[in-house]
This record gives sequence, C-alpha cells and structure tokens, in this order.
Amino acid sequence: MRLNTVEFLLTQAWSAIVRNGAISGAAITNVAVALCVLGAFALTAFNLDQQARSQAAAVEITADLGKGAKKDDLDKALRQDPGLRSLRFVSKNDALRDLAQRWDLDLSALERIGNPLPDSFHVVPVDPHQVDALAARIEQFDGIADVRYAEQTTQRLLTLARGIKLAGLIAVLVLGTATLLLVSVTIRLTIYARRREIRIMQLVGATNWFIRIPFLLEGTFQGAAGGVVAMILLLPGYSYVQDVIESSLPFLKLVYSPQMLALLAVGTVLFGCFFGGLGSLIGLQRHLRDV
Amino acid sequence: MIHFQDVSVLYPDGTQALSGVDLHFERGEFAFLTGASGSGKSTLLELIYREIEPTGGQVIVDGQDVSQLPRHLVPLLRRKVGVIFQDFRLLPQRTVWENVGFALDVIGTSRRDKHRKVPLVLELVGLGDRADSYPDHLSGGEQQRVCIARALVNTPPLLIADEPTGNLDPAISRTIVQLLADIAERGTTVVCATHDTNIVDIMQRRVVELVQGVVVRDAKEGGGYHAA
Ligand SMILES: Nc1ncnc2c1ncn2[C@@H]1O[C@H](COP(=O)(O)OP(=O)(O)OP(=O)(O)O)[C@@H](O)[C@H]1O
Ligand SMILES: [Mg+2]
Repeated sequence: MRLNTVEFLLTQAWSAIVRNGAISGAAITNVAVALCVLGAFALTAFNLDQQARSQAAAVEITADLGKGAKKDDLDKALRQDPGLRSLRFVSKNDALRDLAQRWDLDLSALERIGNPLPDSFHVVPVDPHQVDALAARIEQFDGIADVRYAEQTTQRLLTLARGIKLAGLIAVLVLGTATLLLVSVTIRLTIYARRREIRIMQLVGATNWFIRIPFLLEGTFQGAAGGVVAMILLLPGYSYVQDVIESSLPFLKLVYSPQMLALLAVGTVLFGCFFGGLGSLIGLQRHLRDV
Repeated sequence: MIHFQDVSVLYPDGTQALSGVDLHFERGEFAFLTGASGSGKSTLLELIYREIEPTGGQVIVDGQDVSQLPRHLVPLLRRKVGVIFQDFRLLPQRTVWENVGFALDVIGTSRRDKHRKVPLVLELVGLGDRADSYPDHLSGGEQQRVCIARALVNTPPLLIADEPTGNLDPAISRTIVQLLADIAERGTTVVCATHDTNIVDIMQRRVVELVQGVVVRDAKEGGGYHAA
C-alpha cells in the first residue's frame, strides 16, 4: 500500500474517533470494563486451577496393611498396576516417628503406650485425576485393610474452578455483547457523519474494502484503547490482591510470574482489538450499503 | 464507448422507467439527454455507472457488459466513468484542492501522481487560482467546476452529467456546458442530461429525447430541444 494511502486511511479513522468523542469514550470504557471482568475471572480460574493441580500432584494414597499381610508379595503385586507412579513402604515404627516429629511429641513416651499405627504403603498415582480408580483397585488386594487419600479438597477446588470459568464465560458473553453493540453504534454514527464522503468514494471507484478500512481501524483502536485501560487497572490490581493474600492467607500461593503478567497484558490488548474490530464489522454489515 | 441494446428498467414498485432503449455513444462524443421530469434520464445515466442494473437488455460500457459485472469489479468501472450532479456534492471541510485530491486518495493514487494531476485538472476547469478556497466561498458555477475537476482528475474516458446546470443561472450554465463540450473535444465521451431548452438550442449538438422511458428522437447533429 502506498504511503499516501496509509496516511489517508489513518487520518480518516482518527478524525472519526475525535469527532465521536463522547461516544468513543463510552465504547472504550465499555471495552475496558468488559476486559477487566474477563481478566479478573480468568486470573481467578487460572489460580484455582493451578492450586487444584498442585494439590492433585501431591496426592498420595495411604494403604494400611492388615494383620499378617505379606509385605513383599503385596509390594510386588501393587507395582504391577500401570496407574502407579511410585510406592514406598512405611513401617509402623517409621509412621510413629513421623507422627511424633510432625506434632512434636515425645517418641519414647509414645512407644511406651504401644504403637497403634499400622504398617502402610504410600502410593503416588501417575495421573492425579485417576486417584479414585487407583485407590479402588488397591483396596481390592488381600492384606490391605484401609485406603485413604486427600481427595476432597482437590475435587472442591476443581469444581470451584469450573464454576468460576462458567460464571466468567457468562459475564464475558453479556459484557461482550454490550461492547459489540456500543462499538457498532459508534461506527453507525461515523457512517452517518461520513455519508457524503462515502457516497463520493463509491462514485469515484473506491473499493468496498477501502471504504471499510477506516471504520475497522476506528473500532480496533477503540478496542485497543479499552484493552490498554484494562491492562493498566488489572496489573496493579492483581499485584495488590496478591500482597493481601500473601499476608492474610499464607498457605494460598497466587501465580505471579513475569511471563504470566506479560501474557495477561498482551492478551487484554489483543482481546480489546478483537472486540473492537468485530464490533465495527457488525456495524458496517448492518449500516453500510455496498456499491 | 457506450452501447444500450434493447434496455429496459422496471423498478421493484412497478414503475417502467425505461423500455426498449437502443443507443450508441462514440468515443469523444458529446450528447444531450432531454425529456420531461420523470421521463427516465437519471435512470438511463445510472445504468452507465452501475448504480442500477437493467431488468432487460444489455448495457456495454468500454467493451464491458455492465449488467454481467460482478460486484467487486463495480469500483473499477466507476474509475472509468466520471459523474457530476446538479447538487455538486462537495465536502465542505476540504478545500478545492483537497476535494479533487480526495478522488485520487480513495483509489490508492501515490502522492506524486496526485500532486501532478490535481493542478492540471484545476487549470483545465479554470480554477487554478481557487485551489485553497473552501466550497462555501465559491459561486455555484465554480462549485460545479470543482465537481467536474473531481470527476476528471483520474482521466476517465467517460463523463456523465445529470442536470449539471440545474442550480445555475443561464449565463453560468452556458460556460459550464461549453466546458463539457471542450472536454469532449479532448476525447472524453460526455453525456449530459438537461431540462435547459436554451442551452440545447444554442449548442446544436446530438440530442436524445426520452418520453416515458422510450427514446422518441435521436438527432445526430444540430439538434434543438424541441423536434423540428
Ligand atoms: N428508485 C426508484 N424506485 C422506483 N421508481 C423510481 C426510482 N427512481 C426513479 N423512479 C421512477 O422512474 C421514472 C424515471 O425517473 P428518473 O429519475 O429516471 O427521471 P428523470 O428523467 O431523471 O426525471 P427528472 O428530470 O425529474 O430528474 C419516474 O417515474 C420515477 O418516479
Ligand atoms: Mg433526474
């Protein structure tokens, strides 16, 4: 494309944005709000997911041995299971020592009472999501008295993450529709303000795409501007929330890496461009008569 | 240059605007299109720049069957056909120079070509010294010259004028029509629809007369507004 042409198209788009001042501002604000909500939901869902994943990854099945169980035979048999990543035997004495250590108790006193703990296997599954099935299979073995694992918190986190994603999706659909409408309204205003110019363009042989480009630029710019505003709000907002959580709920670790923040920033702006471009396409489709 | 073969136009509301029109315009020809209001003059001209399509027959412009033209090629046809109107259709926020340059900007002309062509065409229509004026500061005749310049700046082989003097007083009208005739002398085919009896009689050129969508007269040379 020629320099003159690029300059022409950009000037057209820019003057439209300036002329539509207030309504452009409304569209940009709307894009920003929509993207902030989208970003907040995405961050929450992402963190819950991570949390659930790391919990799931740490999932360990504790299989207690019954009285008179043959430890070595069971060990061999359990290792046949393809869903098992690793297996570790913990004798009742080791278990008692762990317990004493974890709760800071006097080991010799405990030993005098008599050790109530059973021998056990600690089993790590290959796939944390398959922990149920693996536990069920282990329970079938002769000599296994009881099987325990911390599944509930993981499941709850995963369910919560699913719920948040769904709520986010609905919010984004609603806000996204509003955004598209607003952008297409500004495009309609521009088409109206430009109807003489458009008519002349059509008469002197401008192509339909040439006529559309300034409008697409206008919408995309509004989207991008909204994206930048959202980014400016989201990044410090997230780091603030992270600080608060770190100090009040230290066991919760939010994901906070430069890569993720960069992704968030770029993603917000790209999403904004997408919304803006799509909004102006819709506006053009509905309000611009072709040649 | 332009061939109408048994062309008819039936508007969706049932108005038969043209029927059985057979016409030929040669390269460099100047012709008037006359007829009462509602006789189909604008309709006939709109066929040439594919503002509308014929419902019967063929319209061939510069060797191309306009009715068969796919939509995406319509802009390319329009680049070969300059059009001017009674109501000038200038952009008030742009100067004369910019109004004319606009027609080149929107078809992707380079800045260099634009700066070469715009002054030439402004000189041609006699507005060399008004390049920086705004349309509102020009007389009607001058505004119509700007339109002619805009229509011609891309050097199309055809110029279509739909009542170009409708808003102008008789003296100015004559100079505008004389300018159109001069443009035809340079090889551009000019078809000019008009109500203006006076001008047609003075110019003594080809006259095509429409009555209710039918060509009733085609006086090749030296035609007056009314049949002799
Ligand atoms: N878009 C349209 N839909 C329906 N009928 C139309 C349309 N445009 C024009 N007509 C009708 O077609 C006929 C021819 O109209 P046209 O505008 O071509 O006449 P004209 O000779 O240019 O008239 P004028 O001198 O008033 O400009 C008229 O009866 C008019 O009412
Ligand atoms: Mg007319």
